Amino acid sequence: MARIVSTRLTIGMEVHVELSTRSKMFSRAPNPACREFDASPPNSLIDPTVLGLPGALPVMNRSAVELSILVGLALGCRIADAAVWDRKGYFYPDLPKGYQISQYALPLCGQGRLDVPALDDRGRVDLDAPTHTVRIRRAHLEEDAGKLLHEAPGGGPIDGSIIDLNRAGTPLLEIVTEPDFTTAEQAVSFARMLRDICRFVGATEGVMQKGHMRFEPNINSVLTLDDGREVATPIVEIKNLNSFKSLRGAIEHEAAAQPARWEADGLTLAPGTKRTLGWDDARGITLPQREKEEAHDYRYFPDPDLPPVVIDAAWREAIAARLPELPLSRHRRYVTSLGLSAQEAAALSEERATSDLFEEAMAAAIASGLAQDRAARATANVLLQSGLKRANERGIAVHDLGLHPAEIAELGSLRERGLLGSNAADELFGLLADRPCASGPRSVESLARERSLLTLRDDAALDAWCRAAIAAHPKAADDVRAGKPAAIGRLVGEAMKASAGRGDAAAIRQRLASLLSG
Amino acid sequence: MTPSARALAADVRARRRSAADLAREALDRAHAARHLNAFLDLFPDAAIDQAKRLDARLAAGEPVGPLAGVPVAIKDNLCLAEPYGGRTTAGSRILADYRSPYTASAVQRLLDAGAIVLGKANLDEFSMGSSGENSAFGPTLNPHDPARVPGGSSSGAAAAVAAGIVPLALGSDTGGSIRQPAAFCGIVGLKPTYGRVSRYGLVAYASSLDQVGPLARTVEDAALALAVIAGPDPHDATSARAPIPDPLASLDTPVAGATIGIPRQARSTANHPAVAAGLERAASALADAGARVIDIDLPHADRGIAAYYIVALAEASSNLARFDGVRYGRRADLEAGQGLDDLYARSRAEGFGPEVQRRIMLGTYVLSAGYYDAYYNTAMKARRLIKQDFDAAFAHGGTGGAGRAGGCDAILMPTAPGPAFRLGEKTTDPLAMYLEDAYTVTINLAGLPAISVPTGWADVDGSRLPVAAQLVGRPFDEPRLLRLARTLERGVGF
Repeated sequence: MARIVSTRLTIGMEVHVELSTRSKMFSRAPNPACREFDASPPNSLIDPTVLGLPGALPVMNRSAVELSILVGLALGCRIADAAVWDRKGYFYPDLPKGYQISQYALPLCGQGRLDVPALDDRGRVDLDAPTHTVRIRRAHLEEDAGKLLHEAPGGGPIDGSIIDLNRAGTPLLEIVTEPDFTTAEQAVSFARMLRDICRFVGATEGVMQKGHMRFEPNINSVLTLDDGREVATPIVEIKNLNSFKSLRGAIEHEAAAQPARWEADGLTLAPGTKRTLGWDDARGITLPQREKEEAHDYRYFPDPDLPPVVIDAAWREAIAARLPELPLSRHRRYVTSLGLSAQEAAALSEERATSDLFEEAMAAAIASGLAQDRAARATANVLLQSGLKRANERGIAVHDLGLHPAEIAELGSLRERGLLGSNAADELFGLLADRPCASGPRSVESLARERSLLTLRDDAALDAWCRAAIAAHPKAADDVRAGKPAAIGRLVGEAMKASAGRGDAAAIRQRLASLLSG
Repeated sequence: MTPSARALAADVRARRRSAADLAREALDRAHAARHLNAFLDLFPDAAIDQAKRLDARLAAGEPVGPLAGVPVAIKDNLCLAEPYGGRTTAGSRILADYRSPYTASAVQRLLDAGAIVLGKANLDEFSMGSSGENSAFGPTLNPHDPARVPGGSSSGAAAAVAAGIVPLALGSDTGGSIRQPAAFCGIVGLKPTYGRVSRYGLVAYASSLDQVGPLARTVEDAALALAVIAGPDPHDATSARAPIPDPLASLDTPVAGATIGIPRQARSTANHPAVAAGLERAASALADAGARVIDIDLPHADRGIAAYYIVALAEASSNLARFDGVRYGRRADLEAGQGLDDLYARSRAEGFGPEVQRRIMLGTYVLSAGYYDAYYNTAMKARRLIKQDFDAAFAHGGTGGAGRAGGCDAILMPTAPGPAFRLGEKTTDPLAMYLEDAYTVTINLAGLPAISVPTGWADVDGSRLPVAAQLVGRPFDEPRLLRLARTLERGVGF
C-alpha cells in the first residue's frame, strides 16, 4: 500500500449567527438572543406560533431581514431582489411544527467575499501582511430549533428528555463559505473577523458562551502518496462548535485523524461518504453525534404561509445607509491617518460602541481647537488608560462607563494643554465614571477647579515648590549641578508632592533645571 | 323557518327579542336535531351567559355590533378559547381533548360583532372530505334526508343552518368545503377571495387554498357575515391589506349590463339533470335581470382535480407534521424498548383517521426527492394555467386571447355535479369522492371568491334534494359577486 507523503487540508465553513432582535423570527415572542431576555426561565419565551399550536401562523420579522442584509452587505454579498421562505421537513422533539422555516432555493444574500487579514505571532492583526480572501457562497435566514436536554437542569440523570422551546424561532443567519481555508489558523481568523463584523453592525450580541455563534467546518484532506497519486478523503462536517478554541481544536484533530482514517479504511471522497461528527471539548476529539445518522429527505417546498420577501431598491438603500465603517477599516485608518499604534487601533476598533465613543470624543476635541492628531492622541489616552482601567475593574466595556464624549474630549484637551497632570486626569475620570452623566455633558474644567485638581500655572507657586525640593534634597541638587541629570527625578517628585498633585511635572522639571543651571 | 341573521340582530337591537331567549331557543332546536350530529360540542351555559351580557349592554344603552344576539355555529377547525372554552378537535381523534388557548381572528370578529356561539360544528377530519363521513366523531346527516350526506367538509355547519338551528355558521373552504355542503343542504355558502379573511386560528389543511367563510340561509346574511369577518390581520401574512367596501351597501344595486360567462366545461353530461336544469334556471334569472350571459372556455379546468390533490396534499403533509404527540394532542403509550420514532408513528397512527393518513402519505410522496418536479412542480404549473384561464375570462376589453371570450363579471357553473349522495355510497372509492370536487377546486387554485346558491330541487328515490350553482368573481370583487348572487337567489325563487 502506498504511503502518504504529504497532506493538504480543504475546509469550508457554515456559521450560524443568532440575531439579537427583540422578538423572534416569525412571532412576537421575545428572543433569548436579545440581552434583555437571555436569562428567562425555560419555556417562558413562547406563544402559539412558537409552540406550533393548531391554527398559529408565522409572520416575518422585518428587523431580522434587515440585520441579515446588513451582514450580507458587510460581506460584499449580492442581495436578492426577492427571497423565498421554504419549509424543511423533519421530525424532532425540539422542532415544534415538524418543519423549519428556512431559505433553500432563493436565499437573501448571494455570493460575496471577505478579505481576512493575517495575524502576527501574538495573534494581532498584521496590516502589512497580505490578506486571505474567503469567498462567501450564500447567507440565508431561518429559525432556530429549541433545545432538548438529556439531563436534569444543573446535572443529574432523568427519565427521558426534557424540551426547552425558548430558543425555538430565534432568527438564525446561516453564512456558508466556499472551501477556501487550508489551515485551522485561517478558519479561526475568518471566524473572529466574522464575529467582529456581526457584532459591529448590531446583528448579534455575539457571546460565544451563549451559543450566539456556532461554527460547522466541513473538512477533508488531499493526500499525496509516494507513488505520485493524490487521493481525497471523505468530507467530515463537525457540528455546533461554539468557541474559537474548539473550532481550532476540531480542525487540528481532523487534520491528524483523516490520513490515519484513510490508512485504516481506504475510504475516499464520493457521494454518500460524508460524515457528521460532534466535538468533545474535554477530550479534544471528534466523535459520532448522539442523533441517529440518517439520509434525510427534507422535502423542501415554498412555505405557503409566507409571501416572498421582496427587497426593492428603496429598502436596500435604506439598509445600506445604516452600514457603518467596519472594524478593520477603522483599525487601518486609526493607524495610518491618526497615528495610533496597531495595538491602540485594535482596542479602539473592536467594539462598535467604543469606537463610536472614541470618534465622537475626538470630533469634540477637534471642535474645541485641537489638531486632529493631538485630538486623537489625547482621546485615545483617556479611553485606553483611565478608561480601560476603570472598565476592567468593573468588568464592563469602556463605553458603558457612562462618560459623555464631550467629557472625554475635555479631559483629553486639558491634559494635552498641560492643565491636568496624569494623576489628576485619572482621578477626574474616576469621578465622572462614578456619577455617570444623566443628560448632557458636565464641565470637566469646573469639576477640576472645584476639586483643586487643575495644574497651577502660577510662577510664584512653581518657584516655591522647586526651591523647597532643592532645600529638602541638597545632595540631589548638587548631583544635578555636577552634571548628573538623572538625579533631577528625585527633586521633581518632591516638588510634585509639595504641589499636592496640582503641579505639572514637565513645567516643574523645566524650572528645576533652570534653577540648578543658574 | 327561522328568521335571517339580519332580522334577528335587528330585533335584538330594537329589544323586541332578548339575545338570551334566542340562545335558549336555538339550544332547544339543537337538542331536538341531535340525530343529525351537526354539533360536536354545545356551549349552553356560555352561550346564555354571553347573551345575557349582551342584553345587559343593550339595556344600558351601550353600542352592540351588527350580529348582536345572533346564534352561530363554528366549524370545529376554528380555534375558540374562553369564555366558550370548549375543545377544538378538527374532527380528529388526535385533538379529541385539545383546548385552544386562543381564538381564531375570524371567530373573534364574529364575537366582537355580538354573535353568540352556540357550539362547535362537526366536520370531516382536518377538513379532508366531501361528505362529512370522515369525522372521528361520526358522520353528520343531511337534514333533507338523514340517509344522505350533508356534503363536506363543513358538514355540521351546513346541516345546522339548513335544519334551522342557527341562521349563520362559519366554515372553511379548501377545495369546496363551504360551497359543496351548502349546495347539498340547500343553503348559501360563500368562499371569499384568498386573503380576504384571516386564517389565523384556522387549523390548516392546505395553507395556500384554505379560506374562512360564512354559510347562511340568504345571500344577504352571507354578505353581512363577510363584512364582519373580512379584513387584514397582522397575525396572517397572507391576509390582504385592502379594506373591503361594505357588500351590504350595494347589495340591491341592479346588475343590468353585467356579463356572466358559462364555461363549456360546466355543461358536462355527467351533471345530474336537476343540476343542469338549475344551471339554466340560474342563467335565465340573471339574463332576466339584464345580465348578458355568454359561453366561455376554461381549457385547463380538467386538470383541476389532479393539481388540487397534489398541491393540497403536499401542504397538508407538512401542516399536519406538528401533530406528533409531543406537546399536545394524543400521545401513544409506548411499550418497553420503544423510542422516539415509535412515539411519532404510533401517536399518529392512533390519532389520524384513514383518509387523513392516506392524504399525508400522498403528500409526503409528491414532495419527496426525485418526485418533486414530476408532481409538485407540474401541479404548480397547472395551477398557473388554471389561474390564467380565469384571468382571461375576467379580462376587460373583449376577448381573453386565443379566441376566448373575456370581459366576464362573474362565471356561473354548478357547485357539485349532483345532489347529496347516500351515506357510504362513495366511501370505498376515494377517487369517485375526489371527483365530487371537480367544479369547486379550480376556484381555490385560482384564489377567487365564489358563492353557492340553491337553484332548485332534484327528486331522487323519493327524496327531494336541493341542487345549486356557484358564481365565481374577480379577486376581491365580493360586493359585485354578492349582488349577482342576490339577483340569482331572487330569480330562481328557491
